[in-house]
Amino acid sequence: MSDPVPLTTDHTGQVASATPPAPGRSRRLSDRWLAVTFISPALLLLLAMSVFPLLWALYLSFTDYSATRGGPAHFIWFENFTAILTSAQVHLRALTTLIYVIGAVTLQTVLGFAIAYLISRRTHGRGLLTTLFLVPMMLSPVVVGLFWRFMLDAQFGVINSMLGSLGLGQVEWLTRQRTALISLIVVDTWQWTPFIMLIALAGLTAVPKYLYEAASIDRASEWFRFRTITLPLVWPLLLIAVLFRAIEAFRLFDLVYILTSGGPGVSTETLSFHVYKVAFLGFNTGTASAYGLLMVLVVMVLTQLYLRYLNKLKED
Amino acid sequence: MRYPKRRGRPSVPGRKVQLATAAILAATTVAACGGDTQASAPKAPATIPELTKDPLTLSFIWFDWPPAHALEDFANAEYTKERSNVTIKVNTVPNANWHDAMFTQFAAHKTDFDIPILDSQHIGEAVTNGNILDITDFVKKNIDVKAYNPYLLAAYGQFPQAETGKRDENAPLYGLPLLGDTWTMIYRKDLIGDKPPQTWDEMISVAEKCQADHPGVSGLAFHQANGSDAAAVTYNTVNGVYGGNLWDSKKRKIQGVLNDTAGQEAMDVLVNKMKPLTAKGSGNWFIDEVNAAVSQGKACIAFNWIAASGGLLDPKQSTLGTTREQILDKLGFAPLPSQKTNLVPLGGMGMHVSAYSSKTNQAEALNFMKWFERADIQKKWAAAGGVPSRTDALQSPEFLNAQPFNKVYADSVPRMRDMWNVPEYARLVDIENTNVNAALNGAKKPKDALDDIAKEQQGVLDASSRKGGGGL
Repeated sequence: MSDPVPLTTDHTGQVASATPPAPGRSRRLSDRWLAVTFISPALLLLLAMSVFPLLWALYLSFTDYSATRGGPAHFIWFENFTAILTSAQVHLRALTTLIYVIGAVTLQTVLGFAIAYLISRRTHGRGLLTTLFLVPMMLSPVVVGLFWRFMLDAQFGVINSMLGSLGLGQVEWLTRQRTALISLIVVDTWQWTPFIMLIALAGLTAVPKYLYEAASIDRASEWFRFRTITLPLVWPLLLIAVLFRAIEAFRLFDLVYILTSGGPGVSTETLSFHVYKVAFLGFNTGTASAYGLLMVLVVMVLTQLYLRYLNKLKED
Repeated sequence: MRYPKRRGRPSVPGRKVQLATAAILAATTVAACGGDTQASAPKAPATIPELTKDPLTLSFIWFDWPPAHALEDFANAEYTKERSNVTIKVNTVPNANWHDAMFTQFAAHKTDFDIPILDSQHIGEAVTNGNILDITDFVKKNIDVKAYNPYLLAAYGQFPQAETGKRDENAPLYGLPLLGDTWTMIYRKDLIGDKPPQTWDEMISVAEKCQADHPGVSGLAFHQANGSDAAAVTYNTVNGVYGGNLWDSKKRKIQGVLNDTAGQEAMDVLVNKMKPLTAKGSGNWFIDEVNAAVSQGKACIAFNWIAASGGLLDPKQSTLGTTREQILDKLGFAPLPSQKTNLVPLGGMGMHVSAYSSKTNQAEALNFMKWFERADIQKKWAAAGGVPSRTDALQSPEFLNAQPFNKVYADSVPRMRDMWNVPEYARLVDIENTNVNAALNGAKKPKDALDDIAKEQQGVLDASSRKGGGGL
């Protein structure tokens, strides 16, 4: 008969494990301490890079602090927030951002879902097609902005050259008020439609086949099947993709910076671009912190409302 | 389960972790917020301290354009003859990021450059924040100030800003000239003739006729973009030529000065007479785009900074000829036409010393500046493609014969006018850029744009008394 396996206990006296402790391990080095030791680098990084800047931005948002002017930060309480919320300049940027978000996300959703639906119906070459469609999403927004800037150039750009060969006139894509915002929406759509497509494709492939088979037996039309089977099952997943895209579009900066610099005038300046100017042109750090926090707050509130709607949808 | 869920107070290690985290947060907050002192520009020594014999890299920061590369090559070839242990590195950033790249490092009170090359209008911001050294005593002891046109010395170093064309000898100096610059008029001799237009009105009518006579070639090409200081410099130039003023610097008044009758006329000329003569879609053009239009033979008359015009004579970049001579048969360079005044924009930049650089590097930076301002070095800099500021170098054959547009600069020096050199410069120029760009691209009526500029800029100058919302 072999020796009975000794039970190890932790210092609280609970029976914890049947395995013996590792040889040479210090008695003070409990599993709890080990866990703390292993998590602390990540925790410290998170505190230093995310939590502390957020808390400091919160503190600065109540002050008139400027990063370059130096001197102490004076508390002015809610004056930065009041100034931002009542500023006509901010309202204008908010409207531009709203038009951009609605335009870009709607277009991307419709196109993304349509492409995903068409791909899902194919049996051959589906993988290759999906991969090809995903290429724009893998590029850096700055690179995308730069080559679209060349393509949309009114004088030398390939888009106007193509329009010219079709007998159409030159379009000032990036220097006219309406076309500049449309150009931004088009470029963003070109890059991020594949994201919606990918999520929608995942949803479409997960729809159980037997539902379609049952519908076929009942001789349901294509439209009826789409309306009553496909769309309701894919919809929640699609809404999550829309949420991600809306948040991304809300904080758009890079494409504006590269393509239009916010012009003509300030007609394509988004909220993020405006925060950048407040923060780095005048180094009004207190105002910029308040501005940034308000943007975070807007995203959080809208996301909460959206998630509640999603949960309700699932429950229904 | 090995660790059941605990309720109530956390364990001893848990509490310790929480306490440590709170302590770190508090310490970091104190460190981040409490390190600031009221800014004021520290003084550089009058005499250059002993220089190191150890290997040293002297770093500059500038925006990416040909003079930046010329400076690095020139300094490494010439300065190292006297200081063989020193390597010169000119760090470059895109033009649009130039101000931010310097001032974000200043804000951190730590710079990876020793010599920031500031635009003349950045000096006020850097001095007020204590970011660069006061070199008044150093200049008195080491630099022959009489060798310069007083206004050039003032424009690239003095703060508070000098009156146009003058220098206040009692005002402190914070920099020395590195590269002089102004706009040149570039015209197609083969299309409009050898004689350049002499007045602004004549220039417009010549451009109009040239555009009508040569389909596919636009009458004018100039800066219109809303980034950097592009559209703002264009308006300020026309404003100066038509007798306008940017502000009353003594009363700090812009409203009613910028948008007076002369200012309105200048905006009308720019938007309603000059803009229709530009290429379609040129509303976001800056230095490179204007140069491209000239090189591709798409413009009759163009305006650009002299220091950025060297590439126009490169046959590899031009369709105007296969040799430099062929290109020069077609391209002419002339000072800007005059109208009610003969003012031209002051461009160029000065060298300054970062207050956050090490003492060893600051000493080397001062030594470099003293070396660079020597008469023989200024002539060599001219021959290497630079635009010097010493009068003897400007009038030297080395400079005047180096490039066909160098005489334009020498002739333009007495005509120069700068913008506002105040700590609020970055915001003032952004307001002007965006509004002029809006007017040029049909997003605003010219009069509305000018009135908005005056109102918003005045708001920025008056904002010191306002508490919240600065910068909006």
